[in-house]
Amino acid sequence: MNRFYMTLFFLFFLSTNVWAINGREVQEKVVEVRVKALTRKADVGMVLFDKTGKRTRTLNEYSKKTGDNAYKVLVMFKTPPDLEDVGFLIHARSFSDRDLWAYFPEYKRIRRIPNTSQDDSFFGSDFSYDDFGGPPNIDDYSFKIIKEEEFDGKPSYVLEVTPKIRRKYTRYIAWVAKDLWIYIKIEYYQDDTLYRTGSFKDIRTITGIPTPFKLEMENKKTNHRTELTLENIVYNPELSDDMFTQKTLQKGVK
Amino acid sequence: MSLLNLLRFISLRHMRLQKAQTFMAVSGICLGVAAIVSIGIINNSILFSFEDSINKVTGKAVLQITGAQSGFPEELLEKVQGVTGVEYAVPIIDTHGILVGGKEESLMILGIDVLIDHQIRSYSLSEDNSDIPDPLLFLAKPDSILITNRFAEREKIKLEQKINIQTVQGIKTLKVRGLLNPEGPAKAMDGNIAIMDIYAAQMAFGKEGRIDRIDVSILKGETIESVKKRIEDALPKGYNVDTPEGRTKQVEILLSTFQRNINLISFIAVFVGMYLIYNAVSIAVVHRKKEIGILRAIGTKRGQIIRLFLSETLVIAVIGSSLGIGFGIFLAKSLVSVFGQVVSEIYMRTSVNEISISYDHLIKGFFAGIITSIIAAMFPAISSSRITPISAIRSVPFSEDGFFTKKKLGIASIFFVVCAVCLFLQYKLTENNSYFHSSLGVFVATLFILIGLSLATPAFLKAYLLFFRRFIASKMGSSGKLAGLNLQKNINRNAVAAAAVFYGISVFVSTAGFMYSAKMSVMRFIDNAVKAEILITSGHPLATTGSKNIPMPLDMLKEVEKIPGVLQADPFRKLYVSYNNRRTLLLNIDVARRLSYSSFMVVSGEEKNLSNILSNKDNVLINEGFALKNNIKPGDSIVLPTPNGQVSFGVAAIIVEYTSDIGSILMDIHTYQRYWKERLADTIAVRVKDKKNSEAVRKAIQDKFGNDRKLFVLLASEFKKEIRKIIDQVFVFNYMLNVITLTIASLGIIVTLLASVLERTREIGILRAIGMLKKQVSQVVVLESMLLGLAGGTLGCVAGIVNGWMTLDGFYRSDFGASAQYFIPYASIIWAIIISGLLSAIAGIYPARRAAKTNIVEALAYE
Repeated sequence: MNRFYMTLFFLFFLSTNVWAINGREVQEKVVEVRVKALTRKADVGMVLFDKTGKRTRTLNEYSKKTGDNAYKVLVMFKTPPDLEDVGFLIHARSFSDRDLWAYFPEYKRIRRIPNTSQDDSFFGSDFSYDDFGGPPNIDDYSFKIIKEEEFDGKPSYVLEVTPKIRRKYTRYIAWVAKDLWIYIKIEYYQDDTLYRTGSFKDIRTITGIPTPFKLEMENKKTNHRTELTLENIVYNPELSDDMFTQKTLQKGVK
Repeated sequence: MSLLNLLRFISLRHMRLQKAQTFMAVSGICLGVAAIVSIGIINNSILFSFEDSINKVTGKAVLQITGAQSGFPEELLEKVQGVTGVEYAVPIIDTHGILVGGKEESLMILGIDVLIDHQIRSYSLSEDNSDIPDPLLFLAKPDSILITNRFAEREKIKLEQKINIQTVQGIKTLKVRGLLNPEGPAKAMDGNIAIMDIYAAQMAFGKEGRIDRIDVSILKGETIESVKKRIEDALPKGYNVDTPEGRTKQVEILLSTFQRNINLISFIAVFVGMYLIYNAVSIAVVHRKKEIGILRAIGTKRGQIIRLFLSETLVIAVIGSSLGIGFGIFLAKSLVSVFGQVVSEIYMRTSVNEISISYDHLIKGFFAGIITSIIAAMFPAISSSRITPISAIRSVPFSEDGFFTKKKLGIASIFFVVCAVCLFLQYKLTENNSYFHSSLGVFVATLFILIGLSLATPAFLKAYLLFFRRFIASKMGSSGKLAGLNLQKNINRNAVAAAAVFYGISVFVSTAGFMYSAKMSVMRFIDNAVKAEILITSGHPLATTGSKNIPMPLDMLKEVEKIPGVLQADPFRKLYVSYNNRRTLLLNIDVARRLSYSSFMVVSGEEKNLSNILSNKDNVLINEGFALKNNIKPGDSIVLPTPNGQVSFGVAAIIVEYTSDIGSILMDIHTYQRYWKERLADTIAVRVKDKKNSEAVRKAIQDKFGNDRKLFVLLASEFKKEIRKIIDQVFVFNYMLNVITLTIASLGIIVTLLASVLERTREIGILRAIGMLKKQVSQVVVLESMLLGLAGGTLGCVAGIVNGWMTLDGFYRSDFGASAQYFIPYASIIWAIIISGLLSAIAGIYPARRAAKTNIVEALAYE
């Protein structure tokens, strides 16, 4: 009898404390790493694949932590010539409150991108504007670890993330590498339909920050795929606040 | 004997034997029902096409904000976005261009904010319902355009191909950066739709800093009314915040005159069809008099006889109406694109290639056919029950037994004419906004005139035949004498045939008079208004903004004036504004320049010094239609929405102005530019130094601008010819009605004469027995037919003149003003007389053949 109660107690314990860490805590660790990586500059190669072939473009990315949970991002296209100086700017007052702008030189005007478009395609790629921003506001989501498994040779927590706010997706599943606390795979769902998957590879640690150098995102609806390759990444460089203004967006980074 | 047995053994037998008569009755109903059904379907299809385009282009928007048609400042967008309850507010440029080359198709061009528009409309430029190889290039390049797959296939355009589009700023070369599958807006306008980024569209179409519309969706839990009110409070006065349904309503109002015109036609067609049924049943009663007498003698009750004829009519009406529905759908299918084109060219851009059938129209047409047939058959059916067995057996002429005795006919005739006069006087003497001052009253009056005069046909025919026998018959030999005598023998029955022609011809003459007067009034106005020798437009010369017209920049004026031989170039800008929530045409001209060589046709108000009163001042002229509809007099003020809010303008005078049937306001172009901040012209009127050089100057204009923009450079004479063409297009259904009514009239004559020939079998047999030749018999019958036709035609011309004048008053003058004069259409009257005689003669050929073939022995045994 005692053994029976012991077994029940053990099963109950297992069901409530299967993992020593819960979903929100996993995400908090992920955010911690991403906050460390907020101030940086990098050269980015972007390759878009579709049924007609591939298109290549290069861009420079600059971002800076400007306060608690506040940051700014500037992305400038360099090639091809048709897209040179097309730019994108984020001013985030917090992880949940930000302004987005885009600049197209041939129109000579800055356009505001509404926050409601954060999940839309980043300039025709399969990444979203949100993917180029900082970490999300944890309180706007609920997190649940659904399993642990090894992915790409790395033991991972498989996290189910459900937004409490309106997003284009209804949930996503993220594979968080246990030792690095970064996403290594992500799947976005609209209800039960998988519509976008991402993988983050070639992870190297730069000044103590684990960094995926190859990011891939695929749209399952359109069969489009975009690859981002990071080069010349530098964390915590000296970046002036003047760099993240609409004026710089229009004139380009000198 | 039960009704079913009566139908089975008597009516069906009769229908089988009298195939021609039955066929004609069925045809009459079929044509009437076809007219109702086809017009209903066409009306519906045109409105549906607008509604469908609006809905497809509207997407999830529940409110749409529009201002002056020239657009409004884009800064207002932020105000709207900030209104509580607004979920998304997206800007739209709603314009159009013409593809240069290919089939020269007109394209609706939507300028949208690509970054947010998908929140409202059901397409996404990055999703799989479009083929856009590089969305970023589409965004980054101002020359980007997306077209629909359907349009690309039609015009054989490929991805990445450069196309030339005629825009306000001349011909622009744009690159097709994507093809849209038929989803959402791409399904509107039969695929003749293109999408550009809003800023690219602003640059291409000269609308920098302005937008045409804001589409708004609202948050869950908010009501449309409350958000609408908040938006209205947040915006300056003069902006129209409406639901998409409200916009459809606006279109309905815009097209109301056009639709009223064609609706009226369908009613007349049914009325004429109704007459044919009356005619057919009357003849059947005459022909079967003996049969009715026998039935009565063996105990059949009066009610049964009435029900028998009504049931027969019901059977014919069901067959005729069913066929009419099919024929109506066929007519609608054949004509819908013609009507779509007329509406597109005159009122608003649309693309109607498919018909939209609603069961309402089919049911309405079907029951209209049945009910009108039963009503039409009622009188002859009732009169049939009055046939006594004795009178039938003694062969007492039916007219003596008839329901309509001469006295009754006379009283009824006078009654209807007096009623018509009263209704018309009521219309003339009451105020514009009064309940009695309605077009429906005038329509009923014209109908009463038709009924009243048709009831007078026996009296007229009697006098006419007296005249014929006294002065003409003797000169035509025995055929003439016999024909006159025969016709005089049964005036009432022959009057039925004459009345059939009467209806056809009266509708023909009244329509011709109405159209001729409208044309003459417009041309008189045009002669006064267009003094220039050359007119330059970039779309249809009569097109209003919104249809196929692309305005030109005003800077072109100076360029035109530099061309050798040009004396002066004057701008003309027209666009819609909203007055009292109704669309009204705002016409803008350089008043001082215009007055230097031509005056306005002032009806009331200031006549002198108009140049000072109007030039760059807040005063306007209005046309009679606008004054009538809104009860405005000279000296009053009207408040118009401008891009800078509402502005009050003084009304200096009421003028004759026929540019639009929805009312028009004339403003000096400098005043317009001051408030609307727009420097465009739809037409440039060019006066040349020497009229002899007009052709050379025209060529010089074409050479100078032909490469940069597609222009219509027309000589004044060509322009006027175009206007005549357009007026004819507007009245195309009236022409169709004439064909239908004249066909029905001819059928009526054939039915009557056939009955007459059958009834006179014995008489014809005797004539043949005493030596009359077959040819002579034929001649007599054809002559009778011709005489009846001419009698009906003459009386029809009288009714047509009266009705044409009344129609002009009730319909045209209420839209365009009292200065529209009635012109008697002499040429059409002569044609009407010729047609009535000729058609009747042709209609008499078949009965004449039957009469000539009469077997003498059988005929003598007949009775």
